[in-house]
Amino acid sequence: MSLEYSITYKAENTYEESVREAYWQFLIIPEENDSQQFISIDFTNSLDATSEFSINGYGFKTIRVHPKGEFKSIAFEANFKLIKKEINPFDFEPEGDVQKSFEKIQELDFKVDHDTFLKTTDYTLIPEKSKNLFTFDTNQSVFENLRALSSFTHHYIKFNSEATDVYTKLSELLNIRQGVCQDFTHLFCAFARLNGIPARYVSGYLHQGNGYFGDSQMHAWAEAYVPFVGWIGFDVTNNILAGTDHIKIAHGKDYSNCSPLRGVVFSTGKNETVHSVVVSSQDQQ
Amino acid sequence: MVNLENQIFSSYKRNPVLFDEIFDEKGQVKEVYSKLFNLYGEHSINAYVNLNEKAKASFFNQGITFQVYDKKKTQEKIFPFDLFPRIIPPEEWEIIESGSIQRSRALNLFLWDIYHDKKIIRQGVVPMSLISSSANYLDQMVGLNPPGGIYNHISGTDIIKHNDGQYYVLEDNIRCPSGVSYVICNRTALKRALFGVFDHYKTYSVTNYAENLLDLLETVKPKGVDVPNVVVITPGMYNSAFYEHSYLAKTMGVELVEGRDLFVENDFVYMKTIKGPVKVDVIYRRIDDAFIDPLEFKPDSALGVPGLFAAYKKGNVTLANAPGTGVADDKAIYTYMPEIIRYYLNEEPILNNVHTYHCSRPKELKYVLDNIQNLVIKPVDEAGGYGISIGNRLTKKEIEIVKAEILINPRKYVAQPIMSLSVHPTYIDETESFEQRHVDLRTFTVLGKDREFVLKGGLTRVALKRGNLIVNSSQGGGSKDTWVLKT
Amino acid sequence: MLARVANNLFWMGRYIERSEHIARYLRVNYFSSLDAPNQISQSRQFVLRSMLTLVGDPDANKEGSIDEAEVLFKIGLDPNYPSSIINNVRNSRENANSARDLISTELYESINKFYHFISQYDANVYTKNGLDDFTRNVTEMSAILRGKVRSTLMHDEIYAIIIMGANIERATQVMRIISAKYNDALKAQGSYGDKFKNSFEWTTLLKCTESYDMMRRHYKKTPTSITTLEFLILNPNCPRSIMNSLNQVCKHIKILDNKKKYDRDSTSFLVGKVRAEYEFKSIVDIEKDIQLIINDTLNHLYEISQKMEKEFFSY
Repeated sequence: MSLEYSITYKAENTYEESVREAYWQFLIIPEENDSQQFISIDFTNSLDATSEFSINGYGFKTIRVHPKGEFKSIAFEANFKLIKKEINPFDFEPEGDVQKSFEKIQELDFKVDHDTFLKTTDYTLIPEKSKNLFTFDTNQSVFENLRALSSFTHHYIKFNSEATDVYTKLSELLNIRQGVCQDFTHLFCAFARLNGIPARYVSGYLHQGNGYFGDSQMHAWAEAYVPFVGWIGFDVTNNILAGTDHIKIAHGKDYSNCSPLRGVVFSTGKNETVHSVVVSSQDQQ
Repeated sequence: MVNLENQIFSSYKRNPVLFDEIFDEKGQVKEVYSKLFNLYGEHSINAYVNLNEKAKASFFNQGITFQVYDKKKTQEKIFPFDLFPRIIPPEEWEIIESGSIQRSRALNLFLWDIYHDKKIIRQGVVPMSLISSSANYLDQMVGLNPPGGIYNHISGTDIIKHNDGQYYVLEDNIRCPSGVSYVICNRTALKRALFGVFDHYKTYSVTNYAENLLDLLETVKPKGVDVPNVVVITPGMYNSAFYEHSYLAKTMGVELVEGRDLFVENDFVYMKTIKGPVKVDVIYRRIDDAFIDPLEFKPDSALGVPGLFAAYKKGNVTLANAPGTGVADDKAIYTYMPEIIRYYLNEEPILNNVHTYHCSRPKELKYVLDNIQNLVIKPVDEAGGYGISIGNRLTKKEIEIVKAEILINPRKYVAQPIMSLSVHPTYIDETESFEQRHVDLRTFTVLGKDREFVLKGGLTRVALKRGNLIVNSSQGGGSKDTWVLKT
Repeated sequence: MLARVANNLFWMGRYIERSEHIARYLRVNYFSSLDAPNQISQSRQFVLRSMLTLVGDPDANKEGSIDEAEVLFKIGLDPNYPSSIINNVRNSRENANSARDLISTELYESINKFYHFISQYDANVYTKNGLDDFTRNVTEMSAILRGKVRSTLMHDEIYAIIIMGANIERATQVMRIISAKYNDALKAQGSYGDKFKNSFEWTTLLKCTESYDMMRRHYKKTPTSITTLEFLILNPNCPRSIMNSLNQVCKHIKILDNKKKYDRDSTSFLVGKVRAEYEFKSIVDIEKDIQLIINDTLNHLYEISQKMEKEFFSY
């Protein structure tokens, strides 16, 4: 069975002073993959500036807007429709031999293959004193360890949408122990990488029919590479595996590779941005 | 013997420990310098001072200057320039030129490899950490094929002559190496001041750099472009190398643009001209990676062009040098250059690398501990000269401390012999006489598709402070015209 | 050519021309006043006020008396006064800097030397007894630059932009000088025969625009308000006249915009229209309301400049 999702993304930017020139780049288009099939995309803005579709440095689809002429406010609206196959996240061949898995991740070829997602970044740097907060149990499979890590992270950090912002680093998070999906995901990735497991930050949409934490904006979760299995999605914020309700846009080393909107705006004075996301679904026969 | 009738050299003091470029160990003028030595000797010190002042004024009037900021006032200064040229005999130049090309080609293949299959790492020739811990490695470049397969179109190789008379490479600069315009200015200034001396030597011209650069940049044009539109991009006129940027654009006959002159539409790059947009195909960029595209890299960069990287990734524009080349001029990579050359080219390195002892290897560790007073100890992961200990300047107590630190974490340290840069007679304003000063040489190599070019000359940099080994212009270094003699 | 660089070259041309006219105005007025036939014209306060008027600062220190050294320093060498000669020269050099790859080495070197000459000029010497030397050097170096522009650059778009900038500025400065001297002439009317029409100020005006000798050769009579204005505004053969400048602008816009198409929104159209207006103007029209023609001309020149900016300098 499949679900048809329809996603509406809105952003509105207002500026105190006239903007002479601006460029925006949106990273909000759902990825096309085995479980996500694209139907339609509709992107408009209030200035009728042309939208250009492009591919960013990490290979994901972006939309760029570069209005001509001065303005003080601009609103964007994107509507996506896609079909998502129903996923059972547990439907995979588990690791056969625990020891083999841990040997695998020590191999040079494995490290070279996954170099990008084994790196520590500014957002995934764990302070020395906290490195032992979570350790892997080599008697358990990598997958079980990752589930345990997800559970640990979920319980260690309390969801609070006011406590952090997009610049929050782990050193601060581990002090206040409150945060949002992005913080949960960074912490999970950091511990996975520390233990030699490639992990990547995923940004996407969450269909909220089932009372999950997330919010009415974008959602974030992690994907970790389990040896002999492949990439598996962990929604750490909700302590579940990513499934049918998780609509992926892009992945990267951390938030900075996946921020939904990047802009260069030549203006003075204050500005304000308001985002909103609505995801709805209907069954497909 | 120094000819005492040679007025301007009458007070020259030769330190026999140092390798002097023009005097041999017995104090005799070397054959290749003898004519020059006699020609300069015909000038009285006063006449020479006069010529020197004129040369300085010429630089100043031409605006070949940089700005110094102090106490709210900006001052314009010229780069110190010495009228006594350095000569490189043909047989030595042959080594330098072929060695520079060899290194540039090896680095290019290395860059291709580490942004594709990473074979050199998989086969254990260089350690993984060299790229995984390098801030200059750009993940965005993985799998991307730069036009013509070239990454380091322009390389600046810093070479010294050690007291054994051999050339050694100290550093490969393959981000935005600068200085080439001074090679040409130095030649011009020397020609204006002392044209007579050129009658006695057959020297290669250095003015062909720009045309060769343009030719080679045109060989790496994007696919489907017939006659490429090449531009030079500069951070702007307040950049200390702006003179060079404008010089290169002018001599290549191409536009000198700033980020705000360009824009990207449908993944093509255009410049804003008085007649509307004009497509740009090849960009010789003098802006660092982090600043070229605020939508992909440093978001607050006002110097770059939003969307430029996407256009590059799509193959619609060539960037020279390619983004991400900086990973290959890290200090840590340098120590592996001999292995890198052998691995990709199956050749022995032509130019010496300063030998590096890796303390992670037990035999080498023992050597380092036993010979620490003759070595420079460097941490592998620190940049900018931090944590460096120079063996012969340490007290006994300090030596013990350094040894202890190495033993705690041998992987963290490498050691190199203490290199001594050769010296060259250099006119010193304060004493109004010639004195020995340390020099190095920066060569400029350009790689194109199946073609390369090395400027026959290069920039001889002089450490103007007595005893100082630092030749960088930011640290008060000067420069000399450099003659490569024809055979 | 890049739009930004074209704009810089345009202004480079303007700033050179501007510093030249200001410098000459200082010199001519100061030295003419020393033995002026009329008491007001001879008054130092009157002359200094006239200088301030030219640079657009007529009301500086309006109540009290103005200090000679202060005024001379302000207009000549004050780095903090935007309209000073030193700032005009600095601006022209900055503009040249950004277009350094396009202009000739010879032109750049001359601009650079010009700037260094001014920035190293001793302010005390200048205000005490260096006014003549300083201003003479400024005007001569400007003349050298004009020569370098003409003889070391290809007569292409780059040249056309610089020449247009220079001519728009020349016309503007000449008109401002006319305006300043017109006002001086109104004020300096004595009780004898030297009424407005035969004011001494007309001679000064001609000297300020380096046109006195030409004018005398042409009219063979002492300048009057009518002959002076006719010469400086309408005579196409006088290289400083408004008419001549407009002709130059008109000629060079055609290098930039060689479209034959009729486009009434283009700079080319506007320039042609303004030029035609002056070509068929007579001194009788001008004499009726001098202030009106001063204002109109300045407005036209401003419009042309704005139009150029829109059409060529901003994309």
